[in-house]
Amino acid sequence: MSEYLKEYPIERNDIGNAGTIASLTKRTLKKRGFSPEFIKRVTIGVYEAEINVVIHSYGGKAIIHVGDDLCEVTFIDRGPGIPNIEDAMQAGFSTASPYAIENGFGAGMGLPNIKAVSDEMSLESSEDGTTLNMRFYKH
Amino acid sequence: MNTKEIGNHEGFTQINAVQNNERSINKLFASDLLSNVMGQTNEHDCLLTMLNNINVIGVASLNDLSCVIFTQGVQVKQELIDKATELDIPLFSTSYSTVEAIVALTRIDANETVL
Repeated sequence: MSEYLKEYPIERNDIGNAGTIASLTKRTLKKRGFSPEFIKRVTIGVYEAEINVVIHSYGGKAIIHVGDDLCEVTFIDRGPGIPNIEDAMQAGFSTASPYAIENGFGAGMGLPNIKAVSDEMSLESSEDGTTLNMRFYKH
Repeated sequence: MNTKEIGNHEGFTQINAVQNNERSINKLFASDLLSNVMGQTNEHDCLLTMLNNINVIGVASLNDLSCVIFTQGVQVKQELIDKATELDIPLFSTSYSTVEAIVALTRIDANETVL
């Protein structure tokens, strides 16, 4: 099957549409016959990353690449960056706004969940933006 | 347990009309944190929550939950009801607290008298 490569814009604070990219990715993986376990892992990772860009950043984009045996997902935002990645990786650590918390987000579980479900994860951040890359391999 | 039994249960009211009104339920799961719901629920689970925003329906759809129950008399927003109906996800409301609702629902399977 041919490779799937899509780019999706993400708007700041667009909580109403948060989860759309995860939903579209899930549908693509299902169509391509990936296992429910694989689809679940990718969906959780994409959802958490999508929410992070919506509630923490000035906006950005997601790039979804699906091959025969893997799914690679990259989220790139336009800042303001993560001041301390070590803190952000701790379960329960959150800098979410009251608006995000009122909407059920900001539990401080996003990055720990992403690390738990992905096979490889890299995170780079500065004031100019954050780039998160996740790889999921079909086992 | 299935969603039809919840609708027939005293204290629980179904608040939208769906095509598949007899979905089986594997497990009850209560949380008001969506990351928690996303990471911990599976297909055919039932979510109990007081969280009243559209992303609850998004997560329910993503994880193929059987239904969502809004506890403590939450007045569910119309946009949630419309979205859930479009996605064929049954919604229920109850004046029970989340814990009371779980106790009541676990008694369905045990065939006991409810609260």
